[in-house]
Amino acid sequence: MKRKAGNVIRPKNTNDEKDISFIKGGRSFYMTLILCLIIFFAAIALLIAAFNRLISRHDQKLSGEICTLMSEKMNSSIEFMTETTHGMASVLSAQAFNSPKDIYNVLKGNTKADYLSVGFIDAAMHIYATPEEMEEFEKWELLETAKVAHPVSMSAPYRSSVFGQPVITLFSDFQYGNNQRGYMFTTYLLKDLQEVAVTESLGDKIEIWLMDANSANTIQCVGADEHATGSWTNAYLTMQNVSRKDVNVYEDWLKRVRNLEDNIGTSYSTSETFYSQYCSKISSLPGWYVVVRIPGDALSATMTAFRTYIFLFLAVLLVVVIVLIGNMYRLSKRDNEMLKSLSIHDPLTGAFNRRAFDLAAEKLLFRGKNSGRSCALIFFDIDYFKQVNDQFGHDAGDQLLIAFCDALRKNFSDTGIIARFGGDEFVVLTEMENIRAIASKLDQTTEDVHAIDLNDDKHEGRGFMISFSAGAANFPDDSADLSGLKKCADAALYETKEKGRNGYLWYSEIGSSAPPKKKVVKKIIRKKIIKKTVKTQD
Amino acid sequence: MKRKTAYILLICLTFLCITLCPACSGKKDNNAPLPISHFEPLNEIKAGRKNVYLIIKVMDSSYWKVIVNGARDAGEVLDCNIYYGGTTIETDWEGQQVLINEALESKADAMIIAPDDSIELAADINRIHDLGKPVVLIDTAANTNSFDICYMTDNLLAGQQAAAEMLNQLKRTGHDTEAVLSVGIMVGSAKSQTINERLAGFYKYWTENAPEKWTIISDIMNCNGKVDLGFDLARDFLKQHPETAGLYGTNNGPTRAICGVVKEQSRTDLVVVGFDYSDEMKELIELPEYPASTMLQRQYDMGNLAVGSVMDLLNGDTPPLKFVDTGVVTVNTDTLSDPEVTEVLERN
Repeated sequence: MKRKAGNVIRPKNTNDEKDISFIKGGRSFYMTLILCLIIFFAAIALLIAAFNRLISRHDQKLSGEICTLMSEKMNSSIEFMTETTHGMASVLSAQAFNSPKDIYNVLKGNTKADYLSVGFIDAAMHIYATPEEMEEFEKWELLETAKVAHPVSMSAPYRSSVFGQPVITLFSDFQYGNNQRGYMFTTYLLKDLQEVAVTESLGDKIEIWLMDANSANTIQCVGADEHATGSWTNAYLTMQNVSRKDVNVYEDWLKRVRNLEDNIGTSYSTSETFYSQYCSKISSLPGWYVVVRIPGDALSATMTAFRTYIFLFLAVLLVVVIVLIGNMYRLSKRDNEMLKSLSIHDPLTGAFNRRAFDLAAEKLLFRGKNSGRSCALIFFDIDYFKQVNDQFGHDAGDQLLIAFCDALRKNFSDTGIIARFGGDEFVVLTEMENIRAIASKLDQTTEDVHAIDLNDDKHEGRGFMISFSAGAANFPDDSADLSGLKKCADAALYETKEKGRNGYLWYSEIGSSAPPKKKVVKKIIRKKIIKKTVKTQD
Repeated sequence: MKRKTAYILLICLTFLCITLCPACSGKKDNNAPLPISHFEPLNEIKAGRKNVYLIIKVMDSSYWKVIVNGARDAGEVLDCNIYYGGTTIETDWEGQQVLINEALESKADAMIIAPDDSIELAADINRIHDLGKPVVLIDTAANTNSFDICYMTDNLLAGQQAAAEMLNQLKRTGHDTEAVLSVGIMVGSAKSQTINERLAGFYKYWTENAPEKWTIISDIMNCNGKVDLGFDLARDFLKQHPETAGLYGTNNGPTRAICGVVKEQSRTDLVVVGFDYSDEMKELIELPEYPASTMLQRQYDMGNLAVGSVMDLLNGDTPPLKFVDTGVVTVNTDTLSDPEVTEVLERN
């Protein structure tokens, strides 16, 4: 069945993308976009990390200073309590008492005081107190604390049986009678320390403990939860909650405390929070420290919010930029596709132009070289094309070129690339399993080309058979480079033409006496064309 | 295909960024509430008697059964109705909050509570006290002054007594006071006031009285109320610290785990000191080759005396003390037949 040659205006070649991929590399816009996003996110991550480091450094410095101030304040509040006790003792020293019992009665008579209980220990270490309080002395060895009061001392916190709460007892020595040395004691709730030491700003964030350096036991005085006041724990148990990377830092801090160094600061993270911690000695309680701890976020809430705003702003900006880039990309892609197509294709037939063919062919041959596969380069020349142009006009010639290219495309585009080298010359470079397969494709092309019907509408070209001559070269047997292959194929084409056209020869067959191979459909194509020419001239 | 891949990658990147962004991080607590045992009558309920509600820590525990027995016996003698309920693990303070609310809704005349958390339940105890209802605490104090009396072991002192027993046992088993030696500790919770005080007491006594070269390994195990986890922790600990000469369990769970592992590995060279008289501890103490001791609380007294105080308070009497230390007795192979120990064991 005769086929009508295609229109001059070519539809978009569906093989364009494939053709382009022969020439250009595989990196697409999307991959570039992803790369840009990765860089963007990495930059954001770095920015946030730098910001966090800055906040952390700022917090560490500031919280260290706040801790110092708080521990000084706590120490001052303890000193205030001990000074009160010492002041009372001084007043007692100035008075003359007949017996220690009188001293105790005076002390008990003071009902306006802030302390929970008060009492007196005479020179013989006899305790003047209620029976319950005397039991506490025995239970908690408070006399030992009294003995070191020069002029004041403070007991470790203990749970009072009388009050059911953690308390501290303060001792102050004083002179009475005939230069006899006695001790006055006052007992306060541990919570009272909290009331003295608490600060309004950061009040719910700061934690303050008293810590026994020897055992690393701590008792909470101030904390976010007021009910936690008076709760004991051990710093080694607290250490179990410290993040692994900071355990050594924390342990080092503990060692320094246990070595009784003064004013020691550290900072560490737990699974939930970053903390700064600072401690200083309590002068009235040897071996004990005030420890202050502040969570990092207590100071940087504003900065953290600012960081969030930056992040949200960047996220919105990113979305806007992606949308804009997407739109720009769609527009430019449309233009680029057109330009790309024009720059690599022959506008009439849609086949590669010579430059694009050379680039794509180099790639194909390179691939063939690496994979060890053979290729065939075939030059085609439409027989007597000039006469078609001359007799039927250039439009008919153009239609023939298009139809011819379609025939090539139909048979070779699955395994190779097709180019128009100019005029009626076409070239195909195709992967080749074997010569027989190429021969089969050439036979089919011959049949398809013979079926081309020129100017069917005017019936002027009806009955004329189109043929082509072709020369093929084998890669890598004939030549291992493109330039060599072209020469070989060109030589084979020349030989085919010399031997009467309408057929093809392999380069390896040049010089043999065999005629060009052809699939004979109808003979004397040439005669019909000549006949028509004569008629037209008449 | 490429476009699809690109979109997927883009979504993943965005998700990754949001997840990693510190500004966007948040905590989610998906813990489901633990089962609790709602109130049941402990003795025969009779009309016209005062209703006392007892909230204990662990229902399925021999230790708490003894407390309940003490309360029931007192209820019979003092003629009051006693209801009791509790949680399944001793860290479930939220379960106890539910029980406190149920007791208030049931018009309880008074409550006896063993707080699962001294700090978290302080506000609830304040609330009961503010309603004018007597509140007696047992076993564990709360960090509030709004209770009438607390019967419990002074855990700081109990911890000290445990450390003293550990030192005694180590010396008794022939450890040289001039040689390097270390002991390990397992706690049942890092938040329990009871446990923290026992730990603090142990450290205090140890640092003041132990030979200079005898140390506590700073790597404190925490089984978080789970005995099975305690077994695993103890096994790993002994692998990591083969030099360990003694193990101290601050409460029932860790003690059970330590005893179990010591028995499992036949470590007769290890001194074990713990709390309560669990089956695992009982087995070790009854085998003379194992140097094991336990601090036995007088929990029967806690339950019994608490009901007595509740009735005194309901009758308008004010107790002279707010905190009564019921004390601990040290039980080991040598003291097993002491009359004091026998009496406590019989009640247990």
